[in-house]
Amino acid sequence: MGVSIPPKEADRLKNIVDENGGSSDEFDSEGEASEGSEVSEVATEEDGGSSGDEDASTSDGSGLVDDEDENEGSEEGADANGSSSDDEKASASVDDGLESGEGSGDSDSERSEVAEESDSSEDEVAPRNTIGDVPLEWYKDEQHIGYDIKGKKITKKERQDKLDSFLASVDDSKNWRKIYDDYNDEDVELTKAEAKMISRLLNGKAPHADFDPYAPYVDWFKWDDAIHPLSNAPEPKRRFIPSKWEAKKVVKYVRAIRKGLIKFEKPKEEPRFYMLWGDDSGAADKTNHLSYIPAPKPKLPGHEESYNPSLEYIPTQEEINSYQLMYEEDRPKFIPKRFTSMRSIPAYEDAVKDSFERCLDLYLCPRVRKKRINIDPESLKPKLPSRKDLKPYPSTCYMEYIGHKGPVVSISTEFSGEWIASGSTDGTVRIWEVESGRCRKVWEFDEAVQYVAWNPMPEFPILAISVGQDAYLLNTGLGNEETQRKVGELLHVEAAKVSDDSS
Amino acid sequence: MDVDMEERQIQARFVTKLNPPFKAPPSAITIPATVTRLGLSTIVNSLIKAGDPEWETQPFDFLIDGELVRMSLDRFLLAKGISAEKTLEIEYIKAVVPRKEEEPSLHDDWVSAVDGSCSRFILTGCYDGFGRVWKGAGVCTHILEGHTDAITSVSVINPLGIIEQPLYYTSASKDRTLRLWKVTGLTSSSLLIRPFKILRGHNASVGSVAAQGSGSMICSGSWDCRVNLWQTDESSAEGDSVSVKKRKTKNGTEEPQLECFQGAPVSTLVGHTQQVSSLVWPERDTIYSASWDHTIRRWDAETGKDVSSIICGRPFNCLSVGGEGSTLVAAGGSTPILRIWDPRKPGTSAPVYQFSSHTSWISACQWHSKSWFHLLSASYDGKVMLWDLRTAWPVSVIESHEDKVLCADWWKEDCVISGGRDSKLRISSGVPVL
Repeated sequence: MGVSIPPKEADRLKNIVDENGGSSDEFDSEGEASEGSEVSEVATEEDGGSSGDEDASTSDGSGLVDDEDENEGSEEGADANGSSSDDEKASASVDDGLESGEGSGDSDSERSEVAEESDSSEDEVAPRNTIGDVPLEWYKDEQHIGYDIKGKKITKKERQDKLDSFLASVDDSKNWRKIYDDYNDEDVELTKAEAKMISRLLNGKAPHADFDPYAPYVDWFKWDDAIHPLSNAPEPKRRFIPSKWEAKKVVKYVRAIRKGLIKFEKPKEEPRFYMLWGDDSGAADKTNHLSYIPAPKPKLPGHEESYNPSLEYIPTQEEINSYQLMYEEDRPKFIPKRFTSMRSIPAYEDAVKDSFERCLDLYLCPRVRKKRINIDPESLKPKLPSRKDLKPYPSTCYMEYIGHKGPVVSISTEFSGEWIASGSTDGTVRIWEVESGRCRKVWEFDEAVQYVAWNPMPEFPILAISVGQDAYLLNTGLGNEETQRKVGELLHVEAAKVSDDSS
Repeated sequence: MDVDMEERQIQARFVTKLNPPFKAPPSAITIPATVTRLGLSTIVNSLIKAGDPEWETQPFDFLIDGELVRMSLDRFLLAKGISAEKTLEIEYIKAVVPRKEEEPSLHDDWVSAVDGSCSRFILTGCYDGFGRVWKGAGVCTHILEGHTDAITSVSVINPLGIIEQPLYYTSASKDRTLRLWKVTGLTSSSLLIRPFKILRGHNASVGSVAAQGSGSMICSGSWDCRVNLWQTDESSAEGDSVSVKKRKTKNGTEEPQLECFQGAPVSTLVGHTQQVSSLVWPERDTIYSASWDHTIRRWDAETGKDVSSIICGRPFNCLSVGGEGSTLVAAGGSTPILRIWDPRKPGTSAPVYQFSSHTSWISACQWHSKSWFHLLSASYDGKVMLWDLRTAWPVSVIESHEDKVLCADWWKEDCVISGGRDSKLRISSGVPVL
């Protein structure tokens, strides 16, 4: 955009502009036809426009400004240019000798009437905001948006409410070109030329159509007769020896390495994938999450899940029928099937169910770390007393009372401990002396003796026995005569009763 | 004497306390180290024979430092830690081994008690209720009749130093009585003797009887856990005399020769909780009683109080007091171990000696009346063992009984008498204790 046009060209362009009259209705065709001229128009009018808007009176500017309609588009272009190319103006104005005092630029396209009339310095152009690059929120609540060059507050315009503005924009055919500039609080309408320029910029081309980026460079200077080099300095030694700066850099790196500031290990890359299957014994479980217990991983599909497993994996029809007999929990969850070709493999019916159950497992299944109680199983055994505590216990057989023919079923010891009475299934009752093993007395019965018992009163050595269905009281005949007499009396008196009872 | 070419040799000198015929030359000789008692005995015998050609070989026992040698000499020295460098002084004594077994004296039933305290005869008690007096093997002089049940214990009441006085015998029986017999010159011709006194007072079988040294009192222990003290003189207790006479006329068993006195216990020693199985009355005032309640109690005879007791974990069957100064108490019970206590020592529960060669209950034990070291024990395994305190193994084992040995005693200081379940009284004579 920094093409500087010589004054001759500017005049030529101006003429083109004059020729191109026309109303705003023919704007489009005019715009197309005079695209190139518009460009040049723009080029000139930019200078002119800028000077026209100002109080500065230049011939070019005033001439241009006369055509109101014509200049509408051009002014738009000029304005657009002006607003966006202050720097350009400065250089253009320097070249053309135009004044470039307008810092605020003129982007008032709709104020063309004002621009037209601005021969005088009494311009009622909307003032350019001079607050600079400050956040516009500062003036959010204020009535003004900033200050103009003179220091006066620029009051905010009244905005239409949304409905009206919407309706206006719908009806307006040029709505697509209008942009609200909130810095200056005005709507800017882009001219066609400006729109084209913008599109060219977006495509990465030069904004002006007449710019040829591939034009050969015509150098201003002639080098043919230059015989002396620009510089005849000898080549410095540093071009041939190892680089000093590189050595310094290397030393710096070495020092950093030695300090450990430079790390050579690749940063540990987290596994980008999560093994869905596999055993759960990874080291990951044992990390810092003490309360996080991951769900166990499902096992990899094996032979049974194959689409064409070996025949032995497939259950026969009877087996499948027998599954119906089992409880539901016992039934196998998956029945292997054989498919002859890939296309006959159906969709997995339980896919949704499985993934749902897996989700339940993952987030609904409460997992708690079981506190393993370290109980030594030996401690649960009841503490048996040691052998020593149980002493004395019998360990050796010293005394045998030999005499019975059949198993001895009942034994009774006399109160003083001198005699033992024993009854056995061979029908005999014997009385033994404890200390010597001598059999004192034998009674014989027909049936097996069930039980023998001594009289708990030691004064009367009577033995009670039960034989078959009868109970007998036996006078053992022990003790001296007096005892015997007493016992005899006792038993004799009760004899009748005893026999009555036993029979 | 013969110096064999062996590895080790020991210098030894034989000494003895025996009388001159047994003395060997006191010079030191070299003997091989592996020699045993038999070898030593042959050596000594040959030594003596060298001096006295008519010497008959006798078995000897050898003591080194007061311990009998029971294994080969070098092992003995090693065990005792005696150096073999110096000249050993070996003392030899006559081996306490019976030389002769007499003929068995047959009884009608088990021989339950035997007493050999008088050297003129042997008194035995039997399960058939009769006591017998034997002059020698198989020679029965008197039969003591009267008990209605088996005799459990017999004792000779021997007034000291008075010979030819009428001797009293006493017997305890399962008929709950004790009977006293008197054998005088008058009745020595007749066989059957009746008791002159019957002592009643026990409520259960009388298990043991012991006499005081002076002979005036006896004590008896029974299955009713009591020890009763009785007078032995020929008189009845006053209270009983009238009723007794009545009873006697009822029974009509009196003989014209002897009156039958009745006796009541003078006093009763209460303390045991089980049967009193054995009694010893060594001194005038002290009675030792062994019982099945695992204790041996010492009583003061006058006050009737239980002075001290030795507690062991086994019921006791037999008791004997002897040893040095009559202070050691030997007791055997229902373990195969014969234990000896010293009641003077403060910790009386630990036995001083223990002899454990028997294999069954020990039914009888008896110290030798003269020797400090020798005692015998009889056991239900059929053996009578003679012990010497100086060695842990029995000095000799007498296996003359086929069945249980129920009682044993010394007789005439060099005989061992024993009676057992095979109804025999066996005498082993010629035991050279001293």
